[in-house]
Amino acid sequence: MTVKRNMRWLAVFACVFALVGAACGDDTEPTDGDTESPVDEFPAGTTMADLQEAGTITIGVKFDVPPFGFKNPETDEVEGFDVDLGQAIADALGVEPEFIEAISDNRIPFLADGTADLILSTMTITTDRDAEIDFSLPYYVAEGRVLVPGDSDVTGVEDLAGTTVCTATGSTYEENLKTNAPEAKLRLVDTYSECLELIQTDSVDAVSTDDVILTGMIISDDTLKLVGDGYTTEPYGVGIAEGDTEFKEFVDGVVSDYISDGRWAAAYENWIGQYTGEAQDPPTMTLEEALELRPCEEMC
Amino acid sequence: MSDLWEVLLRHFPEFRSGFLVTVQLVAVSFVIAVVVGLVIGALRVTPIRWARLLGGLYVEFFRNIPLLVLLYISYLGLRRAGIEIGPWVAGTASLGLYTAAYVAETVRSGVFAVGKGQIEAGLSLGFPYRKVLSQIVIPQAVRSVIPPLGSLVIAMIKNSAIIGVALGLADDLLKQARLINSRTFQTNEVFFWAAVGYLILTVTATFAVRFLERRLVVRR
Repeated sequence: MTVKRNMRWLAVFACVFALVGAACGDDTEPTDGDTESPVDEFPAGTTMADLQEAGTITIGVKFDVPPFGFKNPETDEVEGFDVDLGQAIADALGVEPEFIEAISDNRIPFLADGTADLILSTMTITTDRDAEIDFSLPYYVAEGRVLVPGDSDVTGVEDLAGTTVCTATGSTYEENLKTNAPEAKLRLVDTYSECLELIQTDSVDAVSTDDVILTGMIISDDTLKLVGDGYTTEPYGVGIAEGDTEFKEFVDGVVSDYISDGRWAAAYENWIGQYTGEAQDPPTMTLEEALELRPCEEMC
Repeated sequence: MSDLWEVLLRHFPEFRSGFLVTVQLVAVSFVIAVVVGLVIGALRVTPIRWARLLGGLYVEFFRNIPLLVLLYISYLGLRRAGIEIGPWVAGTASLGLYTAAYVAETVRSGVFAVGKGQIEAGLSLGFPYRKVLSQIVIPQAVRSVIPPLGSLVIAMIKNSAIIGVALGLADDLLKQARLINSRTFQTNEVFFWAAVGYLILTVTATFAVRFLERRLVVRR
């Protein structure tokens, strides 16, 4: 059940409808004579060359986390900030991206077993994770915040003692909340959409995760509100299979181009800025600085 | 190999707490499944038409909906309807009522396994219907129901793992294993021990059923 396969069906339906008006043409080339810069060639044996050979790159993204990676119910396509960056990486290789769903719990195994070539799923850079996979430069820096129903008395993470807080299994918030709100009871679910369901049905008192994910929840339900200041810094990195240094350098190159040539700012405005009304500069944090924020906790 | 033991020793408290939650889930669900299953099974074999229909409706409803869907309906559905059901109640009730449908079918087949001729013989000898049931049908039915009931208990123990997956309704053994895995990434080791935990429960259940079978066996 890949997006690509769905897309193929969509294309078939689109063709059937289009047959009434016009012939169903080749849809692979843009018709406006768009002169894209030619893509680089890579030495045989590198991941980049293999991907160009295959013609596709499989990228694991979230399917239920607006505005980073979510399936648009109207078009059935995956969209978001992460998806745009994934598209940029695919474009730099001259290949088609195939977006698959990667939840917090399975995204690291996906890289290890080759299910995905890259992971772009709001993943915070941590030293523990860095021991298992490689990270690109931070491409976005989020903050940990707290979301509560509009009539809640909670004013920040310090008020969470004795409440039930929802967050995702396998996310950094398991630890973040144990450190910052040790008295809170955690409700750990697989996807953030479940957290939204749970707070809407008063099953939990609060949701805590990255501010941008919480903003996405407010977009779908404006009776909820964000409270308190950011209590953690969450630099997102692109996940790459452990030890693939050439590929990591390539992705780093794309990410820094994306940040410096204005595409980052455009994507920010499109997915986040227009909803929050806040401006934000692209991240300048290095991978080392990001790793220092999350020193080793478990297995290194 | 050393990794295997290290994971268990380092995370023993989490594994233990998950195991105990699973034991409680299974115990409560088992009681619900047996009590409700017996009642529904009895309804299914009564001579009263509407009771049979009611029992049939129950069985078809709970047997034909995936447990995961049942968990979502019983928790989110009821909460959206304004009924403040707790995660623990939703989890055990769903698993118990779901399993009860199978228990009811087992009971029905056990009762039907007793030949109709025996019931007719009992009635023609002047036994009241109540006596025919308690002295002739039920003692034989129980014997034939115990082995399939054992399989149901094993299935229920394994199905209990779904409760923690659905909306985080319980921090059971599988849930704890996944939490440990999300921190250590030692997938093989962590799930090996989760499997061992479930095996301990299912093997115990298997032996308990064997013991019951031996106790109830007809000595010929």
